[in-house]
Amino acid sequence: MHRLLDVGLEQLTVMVYKMGEVADNAIDMSLRGFMNGKDATEAVRELSDILGTMAVEVENKAFELIVKYQPVASDLRIINSYMKIAYDFERYGRYAWDISYTQKKLAKIVKCPPHSDLMLKLVEKVSEMVSKSVEAVKQHDAELAKTLADTEKEVDELYFAYLDQLSKTRAQDKRVMCNLLVSRYLERIADHTTYVGEAVVYIATGEKISLR
Amino acid sequence: MISKSVNTRKDNAESSSSEVKMQTISLTAWFGAKQALKDINVSFKTNAVTAIIGPSGCGKSTLIRCLNRMHELVPGSRFSGQVLLDGEDIYAPDVDPVIIRRRVGMVFQKPNPFPTMSIYDNVAAGLRLTGAKRGTSLDETVKRSLEQATLWDEVKDDLKKPGTSISGGQQQRLCIARAIALQPEVILMDEPCSALDPIATAKIEELIVSLKTDYTVVIVTHNMQQAARVSDFTAFLYLGQLVEYGDTEMVFENPKNELTEKYITGKFG
Repeated sequence: MHRLLDVGLEQLTVMVYKMGEVADNAIDMSLRGFMNGKDATEAVRELSDILGTMAVEVENKAFELIVKYQPVASDLRIINSYMKIAYDFERYGRYAWDISYTQKKLAKIVKCPPHSDLMLKLVEKVSEMVSKSVEAVKQHDAELAKTLADTEKEVDELYFAYLDQLSKTRAQDKRVMCNLLVSRYLERIADHTTYVGEAVVYIATGEKISLR
Repeated sequence: MISKSVNTRKDNAESSSSEVKMQTISLTAWFGAKQALKDINVSFKTNAVTAIIGPSGCGKSTLIRCLNRMHELVPGSRFSGQVLLDGEDIYAPDVDPVIIRRRVGMVFQKPNPFPTMSIYDNVAAGLRLTGAKRGTSLDETVKRSLEQATLWDEVKDDLKKPGTSISGGQQQRLCIARAIALQPEVILMDEPCSALDPIATAKIEELIVSLKTDYTVVIVTHNMQQAARVSDFTAFLYLGQLVEYGDTEMVFENPKNELTEKYITGKFG
């Protein structure tokens, strides 16, 4: 049975999935620029702006569906969760921009390496979490979403270990500040991937859990 | 893996602290050869609103008509099982059905004030049948009932006008006042807003919520949003069986049964 609400839900789903792809792309572009000393600000800024616009569109569509159809049960859970996820994807984009912009302003696009192993692992883990969170949304995969909890814990440990490492460095230049800020942005992105994961679990099971 | 549950909502339906006003035990009902209810076990909590939802013909009205012994008035009807009111079986041989119908009042789908009676007499009718005579006490009861039904301010200067002279929404509140006048313990409502416009519906819904302070309310409704708005607990019936019963917020947010999910989201084919 095809309901009028289904048309709107399909549109909303396409919008959120598209946001996930754009957000993943923005983070990837930003981190590649950061790791390779390339200026990605312009492209990342564009993607971040697109995500901001799309988040508003998702919110508008969600409100439209609520007003028109007063959804309940799984329909309501999906709409409510997509609004939250859209916000988190928007934040991915914003942090991607922050990373690129910080690199440009403080490090003057100079390649900061040799990056420590800790930073390399941090980048690797957070990239993995972002891709995994986007995939979990697309599949409504609660089990995949729950695995973000373990990785987030690893990211936290890496982040504090990296802060400890930075605190012992003698260098006082802006590149150190850049790395400090980027590590913070990465840690925040990891947090947002767990929020996305929580929303996915809620969609799939109706259960409200904390992945942090 | 770290994943802590953060559900803060307590499922009141499973809470043992809420007192049960009415309860059915293995309630089964027939109309001739047709079985309308199958082994229904459900509780109605004191001072709470319970909504009964389900598609047409699922047994909603039959269920509430069993709660005040109106089902047995239909020729060819029969039933088995028990219906307890404060723990006592209302179908026990020594129980007078008239007393039960006084303790468990009913409001119907269409407003049905007595057409030849005034507003005042409509409210007083039930009391007079039980022997009450016109006087200060009766006047006070009529006033109190109309106030509780949030109708007093609108009709206090027109008490002698016919009960049918007021609007449909007012007539329905008049019927609620008539039920309240008998000081029932439970009020049953069978789609009380289905014949009303949105404004009159909103007034009845407000009234239903306020009534639970003094009464236990059971409402049959086809309107999902109405069930979600006014009730504390929801029971979903399908083909004469109780499919799901629970805290209204839980039923409408995360129903346990797939049939409930399909019904409330309109996915029934």
